[in-house]
Amino acid sequence: MSKEQIVIKVDNLRKSYGAFEAVKGISFSVKKGELFAFLGTNGAGKSTTIDILCTLAKKNTGDIYIDGYKHGDIKGNNNIREKIGVVFQESVLDERLTVYENILNRGQYYNLSKEQIQDNYQFVSEYLKLDDIKDKKYGALSGGQRRRSDIARAIIHKPTILFLDEPTTGLDPQTRLFVWEAIKRLQEETNMTIFLTTHYMEEAAVADNVVVIKEGHIVAEGTPDQLKDKYAFDSLHLVFKNTFSSKQWFKERKISYTFKNSIYTLRLATTIDAYDILKKLENQIESFEVIKGSMDDVFINIIEEKEVIVL
Amino acid sequence: MNSLFYLISRNNKIYRRDRTLLLLSLLSVFIVILLYAVFLQQTQIDAIKQIVGVTNESKVMVNEWMVAGLLSITAVTTTLGAFGIMVKDKESKKTHDFLTAPLSRATIQLSYVINSFIIGLFFSLLAFVGCELFLILAGGKVLSIMGMLKVIGIIVLSVALSSSINLFLVLFIHTQNAFSTLSTVVGTAIGFLCGVYVPIGGVPNFVQNIIMYFPISHTAVLLREAFMTDSIQKVFKQASPDQILEYEKHYGIVYELNNRLISTSYSIWIIIITMIVFTTVSIMIFKRQNK
Repeated sequence: MSKEQIVIKVDNLRKSYGAFEAVKGISFSVKKGELFAFLGTNGAGKSTTIDILCTLAKKNTGDIYIDGYKHGDIKGNNNIREKIGVVFQESVLDERLTVYENILNRGQYYNLSKEQIQDNYQFVSEYLKLDDIKDKKYGALSGGQRRRSDIARAIIHKPTILFLDEPTTGLDPQTRLFVWEAIKRLQEETNMTIFLTTHYMEEAAVADNVVVIKEGHIVAEGTPDQLKDKYAFDSLHLVFKNTFSSKQWFKERKISYTFKNSIYTLRLATTIDAYDILKKLENQIESFEVIKGSMDDVFINIIEEKEVIVL
Repeated sequence: MNSLFYLISRNNKIYRRDRTLLLLSLLSVFIVILLYAVFLQQTQIDAIKQIVGVTNESKVMVNEWMVAGLLSITAVTTTLGAFGIMVKDKESKKTHDFLTAPLSRATIQLSYVINSFIIGLFFSLLAFVGCELFLILAGGKVLSIMGMLKVIGIIVLSVALSSSINLFLVLFIHTQNAFSTLSTVVGTAIGFLCGVYVPIGGVPNFVQNIIMYFPISHTAVLLREAFMTDSIQKVFKQASPDQILEYEKHYGIVYELNNRLISTSYSIWIIIITMIVFTTVSIMIFKRQNK
């Protein structure tokens, strides 16, 4: 990747609140057009970092460049604000205004002509299917409808980077899927960079890059596949026939396993390794299941500081 | 500049659609009207009776006194009510949406202040028209063009002063509960601090001093003077200058501080200086809060 393609560059960022250091010198970069997942438990420094990137909070030290603009001074921050859209955890639109009034009014804060705002509204309305709620008061909308409106507001000025702070928290599965598909479509069709924080690991699994922050430090980063390789594993669950002396069989071959409720669990280096084992044991097995390593495993193992060593 | 206009338009729309905020803003105005109807008017007429005979002109004069007080209160409570939007935005974190848009901190703050000024001015002028109608229907005369301009000028000053003081107050308010408490306290206190619920002459000396040092009460003094000068001359034409002065001091038409009568220009200066001080301090606090 060339340097020109990096839209967010964070170098040695630090932020303290009094004696408490929330962010302890983190560095990372986000490439143009990618879906970047920024993960961490509550209190890890995630929100502080996002607040700083969105120009809501000041940094103590470190350098940040967003879409080429230096973060920190008035001019730089104002240029950055032109380029970013933010979907906050909380609803930030006005309950007493309609969806259309809300989005149009917010669009007017950017240097756009009336025609541009109207065009952009058509664009966001199509992406987020706003026609049916256009004239409804925001306060009368369901959680999913509100979220659609929030995202529409965040992209009304067609930003380069869209920050999504836990955008699907509290939504029902169907709405979550709809919102998520709209976000993915937006990324793919407009090449908008998406900076995402989420507690849903299946959302992080489709990211192009993932960074995990813990107690103010970055503790892992890479593509979901790279992280799965390092922090997760596929496993094979086996249940043997009563006649088979399974423990002896594993001991002879020096294969490690865990045993619980009649199920033997073996860690696999690759999924295909399951095939070899199953082939050797095919007459002794009563049932089996191959479990794929997930981003949930990745997250839990990173947070619990377990690096996986496969057999 | 356009952004400021759109922010003001948003604030204004929300205020107009919030009936509770609207009602709360006008609550103390209703209280004044009620107190006046129940006993304030009669008390004052009884007092006048002891100096001169009671005529229709004296009733008109008393009505004018009430109208002046009511207008000074309206400016305070309606501008404060409009700042409710600012508090709500802070509490619900809507402000974050503005702070991440290319809007300067000053523009965001100014939008609340200007909206408060517009709302205060609208309601005060509406109240002025209503009060004028009431005065005419109750037997009074229409104010002269000069008189009207004078009253409108004082209303503008009064609304600007109230906006600046209320802005300062709401900078320390972060929840709607706290704002409701503030509105109740201000709504109640303002009637006393402007000498509307009880005439200034009817309270102890130290309270009188507090009222006279309270900048907003000077708008009430200016308004009383603007409304009542002609009526006082008519009602008290048989009375001695001392009796007239005594009445004027008792009902807060003139202030006497440290044995000196306060002039109109002195009151205007107090209003302007207070306005500048509160606005400057508020800007400094807002900048500090939103670094």
